[in-house]
Amino acid sequence: MSAFGSIGCDPSVTRAITPVASPLDVWAESHGAVCCRLDGFPCDPGVLAETILSPGERAHWLSMRAVEKRRREWLLGRCAAKQAVSLLLEKRWNMRLSSQEIEIVPDGYGCPQVKLNGTGSPPPGRLPHVSIAHSDGTAVAMAACDPLGVDLESLSRRGEDFESIAFSADERALRAHLPAEWALRMWCAKEAVGKALGRGLSAGLLAFHITRADAETGAIQVETARQSFTVYTARESNFVFSAMIYQQGAVLMRPSRQEILDYLLHKLGELAQDWDYTDPIRPESLLFTELGYGSLEAVVLCTAIQEHYQTPMPFAELLAEIGQQQRDLSINELTDFVDTHLAGAAGADGGTRRIQ
Amino acid sequence: MPDMSETEVFEKFAQIVAKSLRVDAGQVHMDTHLTDLGAESLDLIEITMETETQFHIFLPDKSILETAVEVFGPDVLEKDGYLTEAGKQLMLRRMPEADAQAFAGEVAIKDLQHYFLKVSTWVRMVQGLAHYTPAACAACGGPMVSSQGFRMKCSKCGQEITLRSGEELNREWVREYYDREYHPQAGTPVSAAAVQ
Repeated sequence: MSAFGSIGCDPSVTRAITPVASPLDVWAESHGAVCCRLDGFPCDPGVLAETILSPGERAHWLSMRAVEKRRREWLLGRCAAKQAVSLLLEKRWNMRLSSQEIEIVPDGYGCPQVKLNGTGSPPPGRLPHVSIAHSDGTAVAMAACDPLGVDLESLSRRGEDFESIAFSADERALRAHLPAEWALRMWCAKEAVGKALGRGLSAGLLAFHITRADAETGAIQVETARQSFTVYTARESNFVFSAMIYQQGAVLMRPSRQEILDYLLHKLGELAQDWDYTDPIRPESLLFTELGYGSLEAVVLCTAIQEHYQTPMPFAELLAEIGQQQRDLSINELTDFVDTHLAGAAGADGGTRRIQ
Repeated sequence: MPDMSETEVFEKFAQIVAKSLRVDAGQVHMDTHLTDLGAESLDLIEITMETETQFHIFLPDKSILETAVEVFGPDVLEKDGYLTEAGKQLMLRRMPEADAQAFAGEVAIKDLQHYFLKVSTWVRMVQGLAHYTPAACAACGGPMVSSQGFRMKCSKCGQEITLRSGEELNREWVREYYDREYHPQAGTPVSAAAVQ
């Protein structure tokens, strides 16, 4: 059943009703996903809201205090999302649900979650995932069986001035060799990874680092502290799109001991700036007597290390042991500790890890 | 710019928002949320850059909660998308103007965007940071002008200063809160709860 039910709609605005083999559709199809793009409202927004929204969603839409543009974008995004989920359910499990039976509700972090209210359901653990984006009157949604992220930006709106905040010096150097639209592609790639991981860009823009961009295939490599993701990007008419599906088996990069040491020296250098420590920090430097660390500084450092490698490590035990033995901790010893526990974490899950 | 009143900051900030989001400045009020005006992530970057330029300040790139989570560690202030009791206390301490009732019961992290993206939150943040931007040179009293990056230069004697970043000030506030209110016995052994 179409998400638009029996209402009359303008097929020129929806690729879902009259599929066009756009690069994004082809990519979605080849990855077991369903993409729906709407370039405008298929009918009067009020009628559309009545037709496709569940009672709860309708109440939310009616009570939104936002400007009309924002309310329309929200509705258009919901419309695209319901259509994408509806098509995926039909394609994968031959399930036919009305749009009102497919609810899209945000989780605690604002990430859209699919809730099905009709009869029948996909196999346990296979509830569809959906991601939504909108810009300049166009909405795109993609649904798949794994967490995913999709984004789009209009080329007509943006200059390049956002690059100094959005990208690191390395990323800007990479962008300099590519056509101007790649600034937006790189931005969209970061957004897609943030959405797929479920927390958006809240970790900070520089927590998502772009290491490679392939102008021929549109692929952009985005790395977080421990994982590397390939994000697909494409330009269609006046928009750039990005999409990424977070499938099982995303590569866990096991850093070498030298890489861990480099990271720790870099991090300690960063923290030392905050704490006015000016002497050079070496692998032999002692954390407490030389660098002047106290308990709070140690907590900050341990937290930063765990966040960076997204792996819990028994720092409390390490620090308690050091306290009991009344000794200090060198950066070399800290490096060995992190190296040992990262090796354990990689071994425990067969070399792969999922953040969610 | 230590002497800017809240009204002055608001009027200037409302113009920036209106221009960036292409809305009428009359639609921007202290209790308006930027997302309700249609702001998306790139719009927020544009607003951030223009605000930094016009007010000579250096805005934080993370919310106070995200900075606090880095200091406190995972699952202490937020867990599974919701604020913990410790998280609620920190937010109330940071935003005394917030309605305590709003922090009763479960508070989803996504709902905090209502505070972080509220015009009044930005205005107070800008006003607070502008306080650290001198209008006159400490050495000779000459007028300060923008220099490279986040530096300012005296147009008379050439003395340069580096502006304090919002991130640095937020981090200081969180550390002070951690020491004085959350973990007042500074220097005691690090507890397992605080680290893991």
